[in-house]
Amino acid sequence: MSARDLARSGNGGGPAQLADVLERVLDKGIVIAGDIQINLLDIELLTVRLRLLIASADKAREMGIDWWEGDPFLSRRAGGDALEDRLKRLEAAAGLESGERKDES
Amino acid sequence: MISAAQGTGVYVYGVFASGAPAPHGVETVEHDGLVALVRDVPLDEFGEEALPTHLNDREWLERQVRGHEDVLASAAEAATVVPFRFGVICHDRSDVARLLDEHRELLQRDLLRVDGCEELGVKVWYESPQAPASDASDDAPAGGRAYLERRRDSRRRALELAAEREVLVADVHDRLARYSVASVVNRPQPKELSGREEQMLLNAAYLVRRGDETLAQEIASLRAEHAMSGYAFELTGPWPPYNFVGEDA
Repeated sequence: MSARDLARSGNGGGPAQLADVLERVLDKGIVIAGDIQINLLDIELLTVRLRLLIASADKAREMGIDWWEGDPFLSRRAGGDALEDRLKRLEAAAGLESGERKDES
Repeated sequence: MISAAQGTGVYVYGVFASGAPAPHGVETVEHDGLVALVRDVPLDEFGEEALPTHLNDREWLERQVRGHEDVLASAAEAATVVPFRFGVICHDRSDVARLLDEHRELLQRDLLRVDGCEELGVKVWYESPQAPASDASDDAPAGGRAYLERRRDSRRRALELAAEREVLVADVHDRLARYSVASVVNRPQPKELSGREEQMLLNAAYLVRRGDETLAQEIASLRAEHAMSGYAFELTGPWPPYNFVGEDA
């Protein structure tokens, strides 16, 4: 079995799982900041806002797009603290608040 | 200036080095050796006012992120690609060229960094075996002291198992990282996102040379070593190198 076959077999040979695609396309990839976007926002701020928007909608809540929340133990082990801090900073800068996110100490 | 409800904007998927063929249905904007993969998008969908509404539309969002991924995956088959995150939209092509110009240093650095490489995703899952008789079972010895002892024992056992899992995951990641050019450990997806009952212990991405199968072989070994143990090893990709580009990479 080749690497590709093995990888494809991870999801039954079908299209990639939506969770994996969302995680990459909405949360990874290069972030370009500049003043030429239509939204005229730092794209990273947009992404944070996007997450919060999604998280605030019932439909999206069903999808469970809330990977910035979650188990504090696991997120700490996975280096989630830096992300948390970054998110907090961005939210503060954007004047947004996430009342649902648990603080980590 | 910006007209939110009319006209088109230019959606940018990512960048690749000049000379490579663009995927079908995607246009390019070339500027000084960098090529942006672009598509015209209607502003009544992608404009500042319309976008937030659409982002809350599950079907629309899924269509867009899958479309984004499909374009980049096709492009990555032919050439090294630096994937952008969803949602970079410019007014017009000259703004795309300006974007390439302004971010030239970062883009060229990333093109070099991921040159000839692809991303593989690895997730490790754990499903706890059926728990032995619980501390609340009826046939267990009665009495407060016995109850407290059972509670204490089961809590201790749970901690031991959690520690074992942590060691295993760290070991798995070390083994896989050896076969990669670079690696990133992401936060495990919660059940709501993964859609699976098992617990996700590891959610990592590995940058490997294109076509290098050693990491996949290591996954096969891990599966064999841990058969019937409650652990499952999932390999996904190859992906464009989303996890290995950008300021933080």
